[in-house]
Amino acid sequence: MNKNYLFLTILMLLLAVGTFFIPKKQLVKHERSPEKLLMDITQPSRYVTTDQVAKMIIEQDPTLELIDVRPADEYNKFTLPDAVNVPLKDILTPESQDNLGIEDMNAVFFSNDDIMADQAWVISRRMGYKNIYVMKGGLNCWIETIINPVEPPETAPETAFETYHFRKAAGIYFTGGNTVQTGDTGTKKAKVKVRRKKKEKAASGGC
Amino acid sequence: MHVHERNPKRTLITILLFALVIVVGWLTMKKPRFNYQLTPQQTVDMVIGHKGCFHPFELANALGDKSGKVVLIDIRNSFDYARGHIPGSMNITATNLLEEENVKQLDTWNKNNVKVVFYHDDQLQANGTWMLFRQIGYDNTFVLLGGYNYYASHKNNLNDSQGKTCLKGVPKYDFAEVAKKSGASADVPASTKTKKVKVRRKKKEKAASGGC
Repeated sequence: MNKNYLFLTILMLLLAVGTFFIPKKQLVKHERSPEKLLMDITQPSRYVTTDQVAKMIIEQDPTLELIDVRPADEYNKFTLPDAVNVPLKDILTPESQDNLGIEDMNAVFFSNDDIMADQAWVISRRMGYKNIYVMKGGLNCWIETIINPVEPPETAPETAFETYHFRKAAGIYFTGGNTVQTGDTGTKKAKVKVRRKKKEKAASGGC
Repeated sequence: MHVHERNPKRTLITILLFALVIVVGWLTMKKPRFNYQLTPQQTVDMVIGHKGCFHPFELANALGDKSGKVVLIDIRNSFDYARGHIPGSMNITATNLLEEENVKQLDTWNKNNVKVVFYHDDQLQANGTWMLFRQIGYDNTFVLLGGYNYYASHKNNLNDSQGKTCLKGVPKYDFAEVAKKSGASADVPASTKTKKVKVRRKKKEKAASGGC
């Protein structure tokens, strides 16, 4: 046997042992680098208004996914139609992660106002999720604009009135307050359809 | 005749070349400028615990204090800064914060335990920047609650914010109550509005399903 081969074998074994000492890579798969994250953070494009959200709900936009990041007890008392609950403190659990990154879905975070939703956004963005948004003003703003809109003064431009009429109608839609539709409100009970991210299958298929 | 016997140095040369390639690769590898020092979970814990908030009443003390233990950074653009800012604050737009000289400055403050407070018009707009700097290891950074708007409207009574853990994030209304009341018809009982959320979960695929 050649000495060289013995030497090479020992070297290879040493290198193999060396791999145990390589520091463990970050567990997050598509983590966004800090520089890129800062760029994303400074863009206001992640904010959607309550009007936009209301319009999407009314039009039953199939790509809309509302995510309530408040604690579960607050969610149980009141939330937006078809919203799923992902409390900020549990946002990293596997069940919560299933609600994010669903193909073709635009996830909109909301909370009482927008701070918690924005924090959820920053964390999710760092983890590489795309198509995520924050409802500006949160539920406080939702109540002020959609549920109890303020009539603009007479001198206001026409667009202000258009917005006001839209909000008024939307408010009726969401409170189920239309008397013509009595009896219908009962069936309106939220039936949340949850579309979950497809799991990456381990060794499925074959052939 | 075997190859190695013709040139006994051959293996050595190969190994040296191999090592050279690895060393060159190692040296030329681009090192990231910043690394996350907090895991996502630590970040969640940080924001849940309301750590790193700088209250307006603390600002009142900081403004009188000239020891340089608190630095205020206005991360708005220079136009807004010129129109009005908190006295003693310096203007570094958020997008420029990671520039070489600014990072050096931040490092010095970090070493000397100087509190760095970021503010924008509103807490929301400074929130992301503050979270990012906390995540890349600047544990001396803070976010000004209420932002410049709160400062501008409460200049003379900043101490009013004492005792509150946060200025934002709290519900202003009892949402369920308001939504119920404002409905045009009072005859809809509240109970029909309570949500029974049925969550349909996807069945987990078993490992090694499928196959032939």
